[in-house]
Amino acid sequence: MPETDFRSVQFEEVDWSDTTCLITYGPHPEKLLHAIDAVGLLQWPLLQQREDGLLRIVCGSRRLTVCRKLGIEPVPCQVFSTSVSHLTCLRMAIYDNVAQRVLNPVEKSLVLTKMAEYVDRPQLIEDVMPLLDLEPSVTLLQRYEGLQELDSPIVDAVAGGSLHERIAFALRPLRGKDRLAFLKLFEQLPFSVSVQEELLETIMDISRRDGVAPRDVINDKEIRELRQENKRPLRQRAQDIRICLQARRSPRLTARKQRFLEEIRQVGLPPGLRLEPPPHFEGSRWRLEFTFHQPDELTVRLRQVARLTGQPAFRRLLKSK
Amino acid sequence: MRFRPEKLVIEEAVAETSLVQRVLAVLPHTPVIWVGRVKETKGPRDEQVLEIVKFRGRFIKPCPGTRSYICCGYQILNLGIKCSLGCTYCILQSYFPSPNLRLFANLEDMWQQLRDHLGSFRNRVHRFGTGEFTDSLLLDPLTHLSADLVPFFAGEANAILELKTKTTQVESLETLNHRGHTVVAWSLNPDGVIASEEAAATSLDDRLEAARRCQEWGYRIAFHFDPLLVHPNWQQNYTEVVSRLFSTVDPRGIAWISLGTLRFMPALKPIIQQRHPESTILHEEFVPGLDGKMRYFRDLRVEMYRHLNELLKKGCEDLCIYLCMESEDVWTEALGFTPEERGGLCAILDRQALP
Repeated sequence: MPETDFRSVQFEEVDWSDTTCLITYGPHPEKLLHAIDAVGLLQWPLLQQREDGLLRIVCGSRRLTVCRKLGIEPVPCQVFSTSVSHLTCLRMAIYDNVAQRVLNPVEKSLVLTKMAEYVDRPQLIEDVMPLLDLEPSVTLLQRYEGLQELDSPIVDAVAGGSLHERIAFALRPLRGKDRLAFLKLFEQLPFSVSVQEELLETIMDISRRDGVAPRDVINDKEIRELRQENKRPLRQRAQDIRICLQARRSPRLTARKQRFLEEIRQVGLPPGLRLEPPPHFEGSRWRLEFTFHQPDELTVRLRQVARLTGQPAFRRLLKSK
Repeated sequence: MRFRPEKLVIEEAVAETSLVQRVLAVLPHTPVIWVGRVKETKGPRDEQVLEIVKFRGRFIKPCPGTRSYICCGYQILNLGIKCSLGCTYCILQSYFPSPNLRLFANLEDMWQQLRDHLGSFRNRVHRFGTGEFTDSLLLDPLTHLSADLVPFFAGEANAILELKTKTTQVESLETLNHRGHTVVAWSLNPDGVIASEEAAATSLDDRLEAARRCQEWGYRIAFHFDPLLVHPNWQQNYTEVVSRLFSTVDPRGIAWISLGTLRFMPALKPIIQQRHPESTILHEEFVPGLDGKMRYFRDLRVEMYRHLNELLKKGCEDLCIYLCMESEDVWTEALGFTPEERGGLCAILDRQALP
């Protein structure tokens, strides 16, 4: 540990715009404000004396911000001398944070880009990425490095946890307006991350095929109306949009599914029996499902199934795939 | 379109092999980098480079079919990997980690494995092909490998060699003693598709003309409508291809014609989008097949196969037409029978194979 001075610091001594060691990003936790308000500052922030007399924040930027907000001044701090290197300060900031909490993806991106100024890429991949719980890989490093180049609403959403970094990585090659259109859609309705990935691919496929911008697919009349169906629950609206986009991307499959439902209706399956075609009508593996409570009920069901398999309409249905 | 590398990267272990000596004799002024072992890289292909290496795996492999679909059951004679033709849909873009065109020079090992394989299964018909992981004739002007392979198979009573290509580099075949044991095959597509998706390959007319010349030299020929691609007016365009085929070659000398629609592993999709942004082949709808590959929806596949089958049968009733990697139900709907009814696809092709 480099030699440290302990002293009380006035806010005017701090250069708040010096982000050399800043790796925190995202909303300030409310709990921190309540804790400092209730019991005061338990852990002293770490700063560094600069040549120009001002102080650089090394660790504790959030604590200092909260103190300023609460009017707690002066603040007791540890202060490094000017002789301590930037790399040492940065490492202090990183280790101090990773020891206490999991960094959000934007903070991981900040760590990687800041450390890249001091270490070579193999060391960044082999040493720094595992420290951040990231798989050491060039591809992943490039994705994280690109995260900060995204539009600030997207960066904020990733830092705040409302947008998964996987989606942000996938949005990066798109144009700004398209990225933001996706963000708005994903923030409005409760799609899981895997469904967001599916929608992203589906919308991009439609966009390429039809020669329109992805944002025009997202904001077209039909999708807009589904999004604004305020009487329907959010989950239902999300599902409606997914089905609508799938139908637009795969009209043949959708038409076949509808034809199958009509054929099933015409066959007249006994209540409680459910017939599923092979996935995507590929291959010949059908699925018939029913439930029962008692052996007698099973007997009835099996008789129904036996009668069904003898029906010409049912056999035609299986062949008409 | 003839491939002339501007740089050779050769492993020292194969420096004295006949293949390396042949390539060096054809390209005496091409710079050579000698290496202990060619590095496996993942970067983009260096289009000017030809790597010549010692192959440490098996030269003979079964066609990578899956149980879910009916496979032709031919054996791959693996003499090199990758291709310089750059077809947008090419599966090789994602199949191998190494990006560059590569030849295997330790042919003594290949001959040994080939002799062992044939010796182990004397009573079977063997159908070998060199066109699975590269184009069979792309590098023939440099390697003259066909001059070794064709006479070898001519001496094997139960074996045939299929050379699959999109080139017209057939000159070296003219004088070879093939005894009907080599089939020369071309992949066919309409002119528009060739221009947009196979831009570095030869034109349809040139392929058909090369096929006609091979027929003149007594070779049986074959055609692969694979991948069949959906595009505007595809019915009319494939009709035109079939018409030109029958007006150029004698259908009685066609060993077989395969039909296969576009299919690809999902990993290939972003590669195609990145490398060939102008290509429209991914615009059609796809579904995951039983083997995990993306395919056209089955009704569309059936429609395409039926169309081609009808055209081809109209031109020559006796043609041996088969589907590449399709299920029984698609065979039935498209061609009106299943291979099983005729002893299985392998047996059908085995019967066709020998002269």
